Amino acid sequence: MSRFLFPRWSNALLPFVLIVGAIAPLYVSLLVAYGFSPKTLDGQYQPEQPVPYSHALHVGKLGLDCRYCHNTVETASHAAVPPTQTCMNCHTQIHKDSPRLAPVRESYETGMPIEWIKVHKLGDYAYFNHAAHVTRGVSCVECHGRVDQMEVVHRAQPLAMGWCLDCHRNPVDHVRPPEEVFAIWKPTDTWTKDERLELIKKNNIHPNEYCSTCHR
Amino acid sequence: MPKIPRIIIYVLMIGGCFALIPPLVFARMRATPSPNAPIHIFWDMDLQPKYKTQTPNPLFADQRSMRPLVQGAVARGESYVDTHLYEGVVNGQWATTLPASISLDETTLNRGQQRFNIYCSACHGYAGFGDGAVNQRAMELVANANGPVNGTQWVAAKSLHDDTTRNQPMGQLFNTVTHGIRNMAGYGSQISVPDRWAVVAYVKALQFSQDAGSAGAQVAGASN
Ligand code: HEC
Ligand code: HEC
Ligand code: HEC
Ligand code: HEC
Ligand code: HEC
Ligand code: HEC
Repeated sequence: MSRFLFPRWSNALLPFVLIVGAIAPLYVSLLVAYGFSPKTLDGQYQPEQPVPYSHALHVGKLGLDCRYCHNTVETASHAAVPPTQTCMNCHTQIHKDSPRLAPVRESYETGMPIEWIKVHKLGDYAYFNHAAHVTRGVSCVECHGRVDQMEVVHRAQPLAMGWCLDCHRNPVDHVRPPEEVFAIWKPTDTWTKDERLELIKKNNIHPNEYCSTCHR
Repeated sequence: MPKIPRIIIYVLMIGGCFALIPPLVFARMRATPSPNAPIHIFWDMDLQPKYKTQTPNPLFADQRSMRPLVQGAVARGESYVDTHLYEGVVNGQWATTLPASISLDETTLNRGQQRFNIYCSACHGYAGFGDGAVNQRAMELVANANGPVNGTQWVAAKSLHDDTTRNQPMGQLFNTVTHGIRNMAGYGSQISVPDRWAVVAYVKALQFSQDAGSAGAQVAGASN
């Protein structure tokens, strides 16, 4: 049996092999950094909900305020998803025979809650508080995006620790006067940087970075 | 030097193209909404056997871990003996003033305006004339050329400046907000008691601003 010898043409490939060898580690590490970052892994999660409820219609077109339904955001850590009764304030009359609202009517009659699928969920070891942000001038839009334009809610931001800290370290670009928090269609740069800096000083806004703030 | 065989060149080119696929997949995952659940690589303590406010709990037939109040339950420190505060009734009559614990001042009125704009303006309009966006859309649905859409029925949200409403004592308005009236649902579960009184005070102020008649006299009376 003769020994295996690389054919002569493989010499022509040598420079190419060296280049690939040099790029490959770079490629792999960039790929891991990009592909395994929370932004990619979280994606823009958009589960299919049991009722085709649309924020674009109710908030964007009809102009309902977030607090009409999520009425605990200002006072509690948790933003309540509304009970069926809230929908029935209007839907006992409006579209009252619509097949799309059948699960809502059924829930109203049986008392069983509608099983909305949670879009935003932190790990159970992390603590989040809506009131602490909303009353200090961080608007829903900073974390949930333009909900008023979404037919179906999806995640607009990765719910990762790095993302929380980015803002906690430098909140200037994300705050607005507390009374404008629910006007989510206004971009935050409606207010100039100086106005926002002023605001931070006036309201003494200092989000902290101690581990125990969020892991308690 | 002999030429590199075609096949090797093709294999390398195809290999190069495949190397572009993962970044493209990742870019797509970032950029488009998808129904696939977020990927967790390390689960750590992400799912702990504890119940948060609105998580389902299989122990109960209705799956609510947040238990609804038993009928007639009274929270500590709240006795509901004060019928003026909780029902808007004084000696069996609708109260004509705000309860003692609510003062008629700018803070109350501002709070009332804010709450009115959140909960009432959708139907009654910002100025209370019954011209809110929901009311208008509902009227359109009823007036649809091919008959009401999906069986929509709608009684126009009343203008709060009607004589009947304008002459209502504060207690009666409070009762309407709490329990609703005829075709209007109650807002007792969505708005707290002090906020409901603030809304009532604001409605009275609105009525006063549109007509300096009896409603105005009432606000003036309440402030004394
Ligand atoms: C008419 C009632 C109503 C109003 C008004 C409303 N929402 Fe919602 N919202 C819902 C319901 C019902 C759900 C649950 C179903 C879903 O996710 O689409 C929800 C879900 C959400 C979610 C996703 C929750 C999750 O599962 O993680 C966000 C974020 C949200 N709303 C933000 C807002 C914001 C911001 C506003 C104001 C601009 C607003 N909502 C106004 C009814 C409402
Ligand atoms: C303040 C009044 C109001 C409330 C509260 C409300 N809706 Fe609506 N909803 C409307 C109106 C008005 C329309 C019709 C809009 C149109 O047809 O242009 C509508 C339309 C809908 C539709 C589309 C029906 C169809 O067949 O086209 C769905 C689904 C719906 N709502 C779900 C919900 C759910 C779920 C809730 C509770 C979280 C809710 N709505 C709360 C006013 C309301
Ligand atoms: C600082 C970022 C931030 C802001 C500002 C914010 N949210 Fe959230 N929201 C979150 C996070 C994080 C979660 C997930 C919480 C969890 O899993 O415990 C969440 C969850 C929710 C949920 C789902 C709750 C559930 O149990 O399903 C709703 C509804 C919601 N937010 C509405 C709002 C509304 C309305 C506003 C504006 C008034 C708002 N949020 C402002 C970060 C934010
Ligand atoms: C867009 C900016 C922003 C983002 C994103 C954000 N925060 Fe905050 N956070 C703030 C601000 C501003 C405050 C208020 C600081 C103050 O009151 O001085 C705050 C306060 C808090 C507090 C209350 C601190 C206290 O002293 O009581 C907690 C807890 C918290 N944040 C957790 C989180 C978590 C968890 C996340 C990520 C899921 C997050 N935050 C994301 C801006 C942000
Ligand atoms: C502003 C809020 C906040 C602060 C401050 C904070 N964390 Fe976190 N931490 C989070 C959130 C949010 C997550 C991710 C939850 C998720 O992925 O669902 C997290 C996740 C983690 C994880 C798990 C990471 C993983 O992917 O498994 C560890 C470990 C951790 N934090 C440690 C710390 C330590 C140590 C500190 C103090 C130096 C700290 N955290 C400060 C909010 C915070
Ligand atoms: C979903 C739409 C809707 C919302 C939101 C709403 N209302 Fe009404 N309201 C109605 C309708 C419809 C009527 C007329 C009821 C009838 O005559 O059958 C009415 C009637 C009234 C009346 C007249 C009662 C009478 O004795 O004639 C008052 C006062 C009133 N509403 C106050 C309020 C206040 C205060 C709020 C906010 C907390 C509010 N409404 C929110 C739809 C609404």
